[in-house]
Parts: sequence; C-alpha cells; structure tokens
Amino acid sequence: MRTDDIQQRVRVIAGREVVFDDEGFLWRPEDWTEDVGRALALESGMEGLNDDQWKVIRFLRDYYAYHGRAPMNRDLKAGLGMSLMDLEALFPGGIRKGARRIAGLPNPRSCT
Amino acid sequence: MKDMSVKPVYLDNAATTFPKPASVLEKTMETYRRIGVSPGRGGYDLSAEAEEYVRDTRRKTARFFGSSAPDRVIFAGNATDALNIALQGILHPGDHVVSTRLEHNSVLRPLYHLREKGIIEYDLVRFDGKGFVDPDDIVAAIRPDTKLVVVTHASNVLGTVQPVREIGRCCAERGVLLLVDAAQSAGAVPIRVDDWQVAALAFTGHKSMLAPTGIGGLILSRQLEDIEPSRFGGTGIDSASPVHTRDFPYRLEAGTLNLLGIIGLSESLDYLAEAGVEVMHTREMELLGKLSDGLSLVAGIDLYNAEGLSDHVALLTANVRGMDPHDVGAILDGDFNIAVRTGVHCAPLVHESLGTSPGGSVRFSIGPFNTGSDIDLVLEAMKEIARHGGKG
Repeated sequence: MRTDDIQQRVRVIAGREVVFDDEGFLWRPEDWTEDVGRALALESGMEGLNDDQWKVIRFLRDYYAYHGRAPMNRDLKAGLGMSLMDLEALFPGGIRKGARRIAGLPNPRSCT
Repeated sequence: MKDMSVKPVYLDNAATTFPKPASVLEKTMETYRRIGVSPGRGGYDLSAEAEEYVRDTRRKTARFFGSSAPDRVIFAGNATDALNIALQGILHPGDHVVSTRLEHNSVLRPLYHLREKGIIEYDLVRFDGKGFVDPDDIVAAIRPDTKLVVVTHASNVLGTVQPVREIGRCCAERGVLLLVDAAQSAGAVPIRVDDWQVAALAFTGHKSMLAPTGIGGLILSRQLEDIEPSRFGGTGIDSASPVHTRDFPYRLEAGTLNLLGIIGLSESLDYLAEAGVEVMHTREMELLGKLSDGLSLVAGIDLYNAEGLSDHVALLTANVRGMDPHDVGAILDGDFNIAVRTGVHCAPLVHESLGTSPGGSVRFSIGPFNTGSDIDLVLEAMKEIARHGGKG
C-alpha cells in the first residue's frame, strides 16, 4: 500500500527522470524500460544482465502487466521453472531487492 | 525439496493460529445456526437466549483471565481494537505514559497519534540483551503526571514473557494504572489480572486462544470506573436517550456484537479448559526447543530468542546471514511449503534495538497442531537455505 510517509526520490536514470521509493523501488512500474533495468542492475554491481536474468525480468514484467500484481511464490517457481533458491542466487540483491526491483515491480511493503 | 501437493507446514501461529480445532469450528457453526440473531435487541426468546449466551461468555472469559468482574469484559474486534478503546478512554490531556521498546504498533501508533495531537507525552523503556524489561526501569520512568504504564506481556518478535506481576505491583504502589497487551500471551500462558493488579488487559481470540479472527476484547478492573467511550451508538438498552449508556460493559461497546466471533471464543475457551493451557504450552515449548537447538547448529544462522527459552512463548526469530529475510520466507514457502512471517513484525523498535532494521527477520511460531516432523522439515530446509545462500 502506498502511504504518505514513504519517502519519494526523483533521480535521473538511463537519461530520464524516474521516481523511486526510499528502498530504491520504482514508484510507478510504468516508468520501467529495459534501459532503466540495465542501469539498476549496474548500480547493483552487475556488469550486465545475462539471458537467465532477462528471462526472470521479462517473466515478472509480463506477469505484472497481465495480472496487475506480482506473482505469488508458487507462480514464480512454476513460471520460471526454477527453484526460488536458484532465483535468489541469480541476482546479487536476491529476489526482492534484486530481481523484483530491477524488473521495476512495486515494493512489496507488507509487514515491513 | 518438499512435495508441494501436501498441506503446508504452518509456522505463523503468532499471527493467527491455523488450523483451528475442528470441534471449535463445528460447535461454533452449530450454535450460530441455532441462535444467530441480534443478542438482547428484541422481545423474542431467541434474542434473549443469544444475550444470555453473550453474558455467559463474558463470565467464562473473566474466569479465564482471573478477573472477578464479568461485567467489565468488553468485546472488541481484536487486541489492537481493544488497546485503542483503552488508550483513548483512559488518557486525557496532560497525561504521561510509560511504555516499552518491545511494543507492537498496536500500542506504539495510538501513543504516537495521541502525542502528535498534543494530548499526551510518553517515554519508552529499553529491554535488556535477553529481551526482558526491568521493572526498575519502568519505575524510574514514572513521573508525577504518569497515569498509565502499557506493556506487552509477550514480545511478538522475541517471544519473551515480561514480568507483569512485578510491574503490576510497582504500578499499584505508585497509584499508576497498568494496561497489558496480551495479544501473544492470552491462551499461551496463564494470566491472572486480579492477582497481578492489572487495570486493563487487551486480548485477541485469533492467536493462542484458538478462536476465529474478528473477536477480542478488554478485561477491565473496577479501578477504571471513569473510562470514557470513544465510540457511540446502539447498545440495545436506553435507546430513547441521546446519551450513550454509562453502564458496563455497554459503555465501551456500540453496534451489534460479533456474535459468531463470541460463540467461537466461547467454544475455544472450552477447548483450552479441556486441553489445558499449561499442557499445550509445555508441548509447544518442547518443539521450540528442538527448533532452537537445531538452528543453533546451522552455520550462518543468527538466532534472537532468549537463552534457555525461559519465560517464553513458542516463537523465535532468526536470520540467514547475507540473505534478505523476505527472500528466506519466499524460499521457505515456494520451495519447501513452509509458511513463516518475515519483516519487522509491526514492532519496528525491537528490530532497531536488535540491529535487524530495516529488513527484520524470519519468525517461526508454533501452534498446537505442529509436530516434531514439522520441525525436522524446517531444520532441513534452513540447512539447505543457509548452505545455498552463503554467498553474503
């Protein structure tokens, strides 16, 4: 849920102004482009995104566009055909701060 | 990895116990089918019968909590709701409150709200390295204008049970009221409000009391004759008056009661009486001990529970070094079919003190239907995750 107490920050990334929350998640998922994804990956210390990582990011983007929400754990596992442990290891920031953030999905703020 | 076609290992009982005892659900539905009308709101016998059922549940609830005042059992939606009723009803402009850094947002946020409105001031007392509040620290924080001390009975992050009896004595000696948040302790450990000199105790049904969600309440002592209502409306009595009744328990209740929840609470109280709170607690603590011992042997796992698990409810929190606790929870769920709670558990100051902010931790909380084999599965899963996740 978006609330007024969450800090917003505007940054120029991949040549455009993008609004982020205080944990570095995109405020508006529609601001995401592949260039934004690459730039976020670079900021995370990744030199580039390989095919496996792009497969994850495209799955997350497509799922979110179709369902209007992030996939549940079981959808993620079934859709990607890999364990969540392997997914976690695929991104330096793990699932939430890595894959999900780089894919431009909203911050799952529940119970944090 | 676990066969995902079987039911999950559920270890989020500190949030909501699941499943509920089958007999509680069955008897609840049976009674609701029979008397599910507005209690005390009509001239017909069924309404009177429902009202008598509610009155009987107040008596049963008072007895369960060691209270001699069944007319001071106020039904509410849950512990948060009950705490709001208490705080808004007790506190007046200029009052000072002492509470602790162990509190859940159900206490912290109402206090913050009242302070921001300029109504009260408050101070929060620290907890020690083992997760306990020292009553002497509470005494030291009491000022001449302190009206109320608010403490959680059992921490929802650390599981530590606070010395409420001793705190109650300290408060009584100084003429300060004590409000206890028993969200995690009610149904988990015995509670005696009269003996412990507790002015008000907030509880919820849906955790260790094994009742459905949506029912909780406030147990008031007769010290609180002047508590003010913060909600107004129909009570079923004195309906022609524009003034909300001053009579207890209706003074603090407005609108039709959650009869289905009250029936569920009544049935769960019967279940607890038969099973025995202390017997269930001992069994759950044995499982917690097994979990704690097992996790403490896994390289790369940090545990935050009290040493020896003394004065504890059956939950503990942990982290896998180098991994986001949210990811650990997702992996436990997605790969191992194990349900746990991650994050800061609505108790941000506890995590701030532990040094686990902002990510929080992974909480495992045991319920009456967990088994030793559930714990074995968790230990295997955590070993695998810690081995796999040792990249950090």
